[in-house]
Amino acid sequence: MLVLNIISYFILIFPVLAERLPLTPVSLKVSTNSIRQSLHLQWTVHNLPYHQELKMVFQIQISRIETSNVVWVGNYSTTVKWNQVLHWSWESELPLECATHFVRIKSVIDDASFPEPNFWSNWSSWEEVSVQDSLGQSMLFVFPKDKLVEEGSNVTICYVSRNIQNNVSCYLEGKQIQGEQLDPHVTAFNLNSVPFIRNRGTNIYCEASQGNVSKGIKGIVLFVSKVLEEPKDFSCETQDFKTLHCTWDPGTDTALGWSKQPSQSYTLFESFSGEKKLCTHKNWCNWQITQDSQETYNFTLIAENYLRKRSVNMLFNLTHRVYLMNPFSVNFENVNATNAIMTWKVHSMRNNFTYFCQIELHGEGKMMQYDVSINVNGEYFLSELEPATEYMARVRCADASHFWKWTEWSGQNFTTLEAAPSEAPDVWRSVNSEPGNHTVTLFWKPLSKLHANGKILFYNVVVENLDKPSRSELHSIPAPANSTKLILDRCSYQICVTANNSVGASPASIIVISADPENKEVEEERIAGTEGGFSLSWKPQPGDVIGYVVDWCDHPQDVLQWKNVGPNTTSTVISTDAFRPGVRYDFRIYGLSTKRIACLLEKKTGYSQELAPSDNPHVLVDMLTPHSFTLSWKDYSTDSQPGFIQGYHVYLKSKARQCHPRFQKAVLSDGSECCKYKIDNPEEKALIVDNLKPESFYEFFVTPFTSAGEGPNATFTKVTTPDEHSSMLIHILLPMVFCVLLIMIVCYLKSQWIKETCYPDIPDPYKSSILSLIKFKENPHLTIMNVSDCIPDAIEVVSKPEGTKIQLLGTRKSLTETELTKPNYLYLLPTEKNHSGPGPCICFENFTYNQAASDAGSCGHVPVPPKAPPSMLGLMTSPENVLKALEKNYMNSLGEVPAGETSLNYVSQLASPMSGDKDSLPTNPGEPPHCSEYKMQMAVPLRLALPPPTENSSLSSITLLDPGEHYR
Amino acid sequence: SSAAPISPAETISQAYSLALYMQKNTSMLLQTYLQYQGSPFSDPGFSAPELQLSSLPPATAFFKTWRALDDGERLSLAQGAFLALTQHLQLVKDDQSDLNPGSPILLAQLGTARLRAQGLLGNMAAIMTALGLPMPPEEDTLGLVAFGASAFERKCRGYVVTREYGHWTDRAVRDLALLKAKYPA
Repeated sequence: MLVLNIISYFILIFPVLAERLPLTPVSLKVSTNSIRQSLHLQWTVHNLPYHQELKMVFQIQISRIETSNVVWVGNYSTTVKWNQVLHWSWESELPLECATHFVRIKSVIDDASFPEPNFWSNWSSWEEVSVQDSLGQSMLFVFPKDKLVEEGSNVTICYVSRNIQNNVSCYLEGKQIQGEQLDPHVTAFNLNSVPFIRNRGTNIYCEASQGNVSKGIKGIVLFVSKVLEEPKDFSCETQDFKTLHCTWDPGTDTALGWSKQPSQSYTLFESFSGEKKLCTHKNWCNWQITQDSQETYNFTLIAENYLRKRSVNMLFNLTHRVYLMNPFSVNFENVNATNAIMTWKVHSMRNNFTYFCQIELHGEGKMMQYDVSINVNGEYFLSELEPATEYMARVRCADASHFWKWTEWSGQNFTTLEAAPSEAPDVWRSVNSEPGNHTVTLFWKPLSKLHANGKILFYNVVVENLDKPSRSELHSIPAPANSTKLILDRCSYQICVTANNSVGASPASIIVISADPENKEVEEERIAGTEGGFSLSWKPQPGDVIGYVVDWCDHPQDVLQWKNVGPNTTSTVISTDAFRPGVRYDFRIYGLSTKRIACLLEKKTGYSQELAPSDNPHVLVDMLTPHSFTLSWKDYSTDSQPGFIQGYHVYLKSKARQCHPRFQKAVLSDGSECCKYKIDNPEEKALIVDNLKPESFYEFFVTPFTSAGEGPNATFTKVTTPDEHSSMLIHILLPMVFCVLLIMIVCYLKSQWIKETCYPDIPDPYKSSILSLIKFKENPHLTIMNVSDCIPDAIEVVSKPEGTKIQLLGTRKSLTETELTKPNYLYLLPTEKNHSGPGPCICFENFTYNQAASDAGSCGHVPVPPKAPPSMLGLMTSPENVLKALEKNYMNSLGEVPAGETSLNYVSQLASPMSGDKDSLPTNPGEPPHCSEYKMQMAVPLRLALPPPTENSSLSSITLLDPGEHYR
Repeated sequence: SSAAPISPAETISQAYSLALYMQKNTSMLLQTYLQYQGSPFSDPGFSAPELQLSSLPPATAFFKTWRALDDGERLSLAQGAFLALTQHLQLVKDDQSDLNPGSPILLAQLGTARLRAQGLLGNMAAIMTALGLPMPPEEDTLGLVAFGASAFERKCRGYVVTREYGHWTDRAVRDLALLKAKYPA
């Protein structure tokens, strides 16, 4: 300060000397701008001459952390006035918060008015700038905050850590970054070429920690802007000389989030007029043309954001940038079948303006282009048009003097008028001759659009008799019919066919039908087609021909098709997509005479592609013998097949390993082996398979084949040959069976005679005449037959003393009817000759009978009726007869007498009238010995006795036959 | 306004239901918020408990202290916190509409959270009225907002607010559960 004062003193006291002394900057003040990260210096220069300007150079030194660490030295030249406060800024790369900065300044006069030499003043004292103290109490800070930089620039960030014990790590978008320690508290990070990541900014943060314990996070957001691009494709044009429409491609939008940077702005500046316009759209701007006289424009388009300014320049003449408005009122006048006049208008620009126009005519798949120069109204004569055709014509224009741009197309459709058909229709016929007339079917092909010249409305068919003069017949057939049928008598006729549209008729197509029918027999020739079609050739017809016609039928529509061939051609290829594989096509070739009469020349038939047969014949097996059988398939049609049948394959399977003669071994598709016989003649539809073994199993399969292969696979039919002897057996067995049957019939018919001859009826003695003789003589001792050696049964009928009618049954009629007053025993036992009076009785006990009944009962006396003829029992010797008789009797007894009043006691058949037996009886010992006692027995009907005795049955027996009552 | 007297149990139950409903969405709000802030916030498992806002009372408390509070004190604390939260959520929403204008989902969630916090405030006031407790005075808890806060600071602020919103909602559920047990329906 002392030095300064001395200098001032000298300057004040000695102005001359002062002129030679440097003017030292004083009152240096340094402030900081945190947002811009800049140091702002302001100072003054003392001792300047009053009202004098001096050019001066100031040298500024900036140190960081300590004064000796100079980071920047620079000169600042300016003109200094008296008492002026000078300002200068310096932007720091390192955020100011992270380091103390020192600034000093010195100056030198660099003015021509000052004589040389000039000396640098002394340095001002160091001015210290420190922001750290004002940061606050936090322990960690990261700087710079919210800095806006351009993509690719270098950025230095730093942190201030208050606690040196903390370990601080910093990250950019999650990736740790390495820094340089400036002092124990401050570390700086140099980020080179920062990338644009997103418009919301890039996070950079530092984390303070002690050990693993986080002490806090601090960070910044670095706003990286995309580099502003120069506008591309800048262009201006006018449509009306009132407004210039300028457009450009703006490129990338550099807007950033958090309102850090808006989208770049665009400004138009015209240098001749000096006018400027801020554009509201980012890719176009309208400029009003105010001065009619201005022809030339020099535009500058300026794009600008917070970081950068880009501009493009364009100089042009207004008349060279005329983009016309689209032509309008496109019309067509005087349109006829082949011509039309096209007219249009353009928007008038200026007087004497010439337009260049281009016309495009689209129609029938073709495009024609015409150029024409016009003033205001355009007109063009379109010629050589096709009749009845829709066209589209369009026009576009440009400035003829300075071509800049075509307008858009303006177009319109129009249709030319119809004209009479230009060609005769292609006509063909088929003739069916019947007795007395021809049926002629006429066919014609529709005219092509080129020849129809409009919509065909109808066809006129004029039939004219050539043999007799008569009026022609006219048939009008409405379109779109393509055939008609005529019935003509046996005369020659000329038929003319014309196609007609709204304008007129086509030339006529003439065909002559001759009076003679087509009875010419023509051999059919087989031809081989290809997928592409059929190649046909024929012998030329002798005499003059005007052409040939080949006709055939389409499949499956069955429509007659034909092809015309010139007179000098004798071959043609019929190729159409309509040919189907496996379909037989028949072609007929006609020659057309000069009289236009068609004459059949040749017939051809063939397949475009032969296929294997679609079905196999139905095979019949005939004449099956032990050694052979015949296969036949007579009803198999060879014509309706998808190929020419060339023959048949007969497959035969048998157990024998060897194939029969004529057969060859073959392997089937399933891998099995069999024998195969080939028949080459398609009409040979039978085969005798012989040399077979009797009683053997054979399988066969017949399939036809064409050039494309065999018919479909099918199952084999099974045949078993018969046994050799079986036929013989049949020969013997049949007559035998017949004979036996005959004998049986004869026997049946003569049965009476045989019976009488072989086993006549045994005469019934009771029926004989002798019996009446005996009765008449009343000789009871006379018997007819003495059955002494039979063991008869006896039936004992117990009657109440009051008397019961006892009817003896067993024979057809009762012999005796006796009224008894006492219990009577009808003694049926056979007796000895002398056994006439009461004799000894035998009493039997049947233990199978109810015990109670037998206990309660006792044998009563059985008096023998004195006149009972026991001999009658001879007929009842058969136990069966006896039982039957008993049964019947029992039933009758129940019905005729009250139950209990009469009992029928059965005497076992085992009983015999031998006296020795009575001792064996276990009961009734006290009975008189002359009479055997009977235990009461129940006569059980046979049907009741058959089931095993049960309680019920025995109970019912008791009920039926009460012993008490019985005993009474 | 003179509303019909409502039983404390009913208002408590209502508030409790709302708090439970809010609790389901708080973690989603925090996750959505972090997702939009970039690293380190969007890093998986991000947590910075040391970050606090002086204007926002922390929800964490010693259990003993919390349990010892009387109903009025406990409700007053919660009410004060949610009052602060409604204001802070509005601040965060404003910050985010500036930073993330193209994120309607986050902005909508922040708006919804604020409305629900206001709803819970209303419910708590009703409870206090029903219980006859004195209402705490409404105050501007935000006070002086550092409008010049840097982008990173604002992101941190938003994080603390959305985090504390969740914590205070959890605490409110506990507060109300305690009240609910005390005033059964």
